[in-house]
Amino acid sequence: MIEFEAVYYDGRTSARKPVRVRGYALAIQILGEGLRLDVPLAKVRVDPPVGGTRRALHLPDGAQLQSDDHRAVEALFPRAHPLEGWVHRLERRWLYALAAIALVAGFTWWSIVDGLPLAAKIAAGFVPVTWEAKLGEQTLSFFEGKLCRPSALGAARQQALQQRFARLTAGLADGYAYRLLPRACRGIGANAFALPGGAVVITDALVKLARNDDQLSAVLAHEIGHVRHRHGLRMALQAAGLAALAAALFGDATSITSLATTLPTALLQSGYSRELEAEADDYAFQRLREIGLSPKAFAEIMLLLEKDHKRRSGGETKDYFSTHPATAKRIQRALAAP
Amino acid sequence: MALPSTDRGAAANVAGPAKRHPVEFTADAGEYFRIWIVNLALTIVTLGIYSAWAKVRKRRYFFGHTRIDGESFEYRANPVAILKGRLIAVAAIAVFYAVGYFAPLYQWILWIPLAVFGPWLLVRSLGFNAYNTAYRNVRFRFEGTYKACLKVVLVYGWLVFTGILYPYFKHRLIRFVAENHRYGTTRFEIADFKKPFIGAYANAFGLGIVLAVVVFGLGTAMVQGKAANLFFGMAMLFYGGLFLLFAYIRARTTNAIWNAVRIGPLSFESSLRARDLIWLYFSNLLAIAFTLGLATPWAAVRAMRYRASKTTAIASGPLDGFAQGEAQKVSVAGEEVAELFDIDIAL
Repeated sequence: MIEFEAVYYDGRTSARKPVRVRGYALAIQILGEGLRLDVPLAKVRVDPPVGGTRRALHLPDGAQLQSDDHRAVEALFPRAHPLEGWVHRLERRWLYALAAIALVAGFTWWSIVDGLPLAAKIAAGFVPVTWEAKLGEQTLSFFEGKLCRPSALGAARQQALQQRFARLTAGLADGYAYRLLPRACRGIGANAFALPGGAVVITDALVKLARNDDQLSAVLAHEIGHVRHRHGLRMALQAAGLAALAAALFGDATSITSLATTLPTALLQSGYSRELEAEADDYAFQRLREIGLSPKAFAEIMLLLEKDHKRRSGGETKDYFSTHPATAKRIQRALAAP
Repeated sequence: MALPSTDRGAAANVAGPAKRHPVEFTADAGEYFRIWIVNLALTIVTLGIYSAWAKVRKRRYFFGHTRIDGESFEYRANPVAILKGRLIAVAAIAVFYAVGYFAPLYQWILWIPLAVFGPWLLVRSLGFNAYNTAYRNVRFRFEGTYKACLKVVLVYGWLVFTGILYPYFKHRLIRFVAENHRYGTTRFEIADFKKPFIGAYANAFGLGIVLAVVVFGLGTAMVQGKAANLFFGMAMLFYGGLFLLFAYIRARTTNAIWNAVRIGPLSFESSLRARDLIWLYFSNLLAIAFTLGLATPWAAVRAMRYRASKTTAIASGPLDGFAQGEAQKVSVAGEEVAELFDIDIAL
């Protein structure tokens, strides 16, 4: 026989009555001041254990027993909750908690490195080009006027750039509305970037840095590679996925509403990953060949950008080099491109 | 462990002078951490299916450690019901965003279904949570109807767009929420709390103007400096300011509400302090950031412990006389959708 202290509630009011409970093989007996109650065990529903919180035994007609005698309750109902009983045992040991930390950390790491990029690539396949263009427009409006003003280059110079760009994009027929936007931007130095949907921004500083226009074609071909491979959209989806993951893992309430606002700004937060840069490089080398230019021009402009970056290092401008690190590897790849 | 035995038994419960029952929160951060991390791991392993059980276990732990007069609260929701609700919620969210993107409409269009649907979600969510909360084996309940809630939103909701009159709307909504709660059959009453509630927003508004002037002043001073720094500095000051105001409003409005609530012989005393909350939220944020999220459970326990330590229930009579209400049918879908949309009017 098991005997333990409990508080009895009759199910009709909040009045509490201290009682002694006696547990037998098939029933429990509740004894208190002016109370003597026998309840078959089959009619008692016990809540699964959670930490050291008080145990509740639900009796017929909404009555209840509450007790802090965990051992007695466990002895009375040894197999009441196989699943949550097992979870409860895991929760009590630091060893299992450490294993859980390892699992969560491993999963988070895998998600960021492999899972999310893969998921973003798959998800991007379902996004129509029109939505992508909308995302690009939103991003563009974020810095048009504030960070960037129309280019200060002469009309003839701009015309020449547009012609080069038109030659690069001629006959691509991939549904994107390619357009080159020469801009004078503050704080981002010699730079070029592509927006989802086909807008490619090139700064006056970069135009002036290049020794010849083939070098500019090389940079533009690289940016067109970002557009064609939908890198902007993929990065935005990845960032949204990361926010959702963080909210699901570490927020007590998941709020997906805030994701909508992260989409346009996600593009600005970081450069592309190494894999995406390599993908855009490969496209650039191939495209340059197609229109009769040498991928060597790409190596040349990368070297110029690196030199420019070093010359100003210590300054706080974010230039092309800081978002497109010209590793020796990338330059070698350009020189070795077929 | 022995049960707390102060004034137990009929004899001690005769009405006398008001008795003060400080709210206790007895959770242990280490224990809650283990519960949190194990349930998180299980959620990952089961591809999210277990999340419903995780939610119930975490809530049961918090409720079970919240005590008034030695008796703890209970969370009684059924995880299977919550799982169904979550599936419905995820589907609803997917439809909501798909429609939003597919149709070439602007975001404000989405406000119209939210104005009609929001009150429904709110009422359902409050109903579910109240009915699944019990204290001394007596359930809470929420009896506000969709119609009544919609009326509040339609009559006062437009004040949101005036900006400055928003607190009045919020105060009406909270009054609606409070007045429609029951503990068993006992109604919640709420005295007029307009003055301190709106006063908190008014003070915050004034403070906000001062902060804006400072930020603008510093900002223009920085224009002479580097443009990249300007962006960053302004954003930091802006969010920092918002953070201070948020904590201030949170402290003052919570006090205003709870000091006005009465449930039968029970009234409450809430004395949260803005500077405590600022420090609490700020240090929690830092701890969570520096531990890559691992301090989340500790932060949650700490926040609740503070809240409990500043709340006292005052009983002018015995707490034995609350009668159980009739059984109610509640559905979980509203609660889960509301959670995803962040619709939450907490008292």
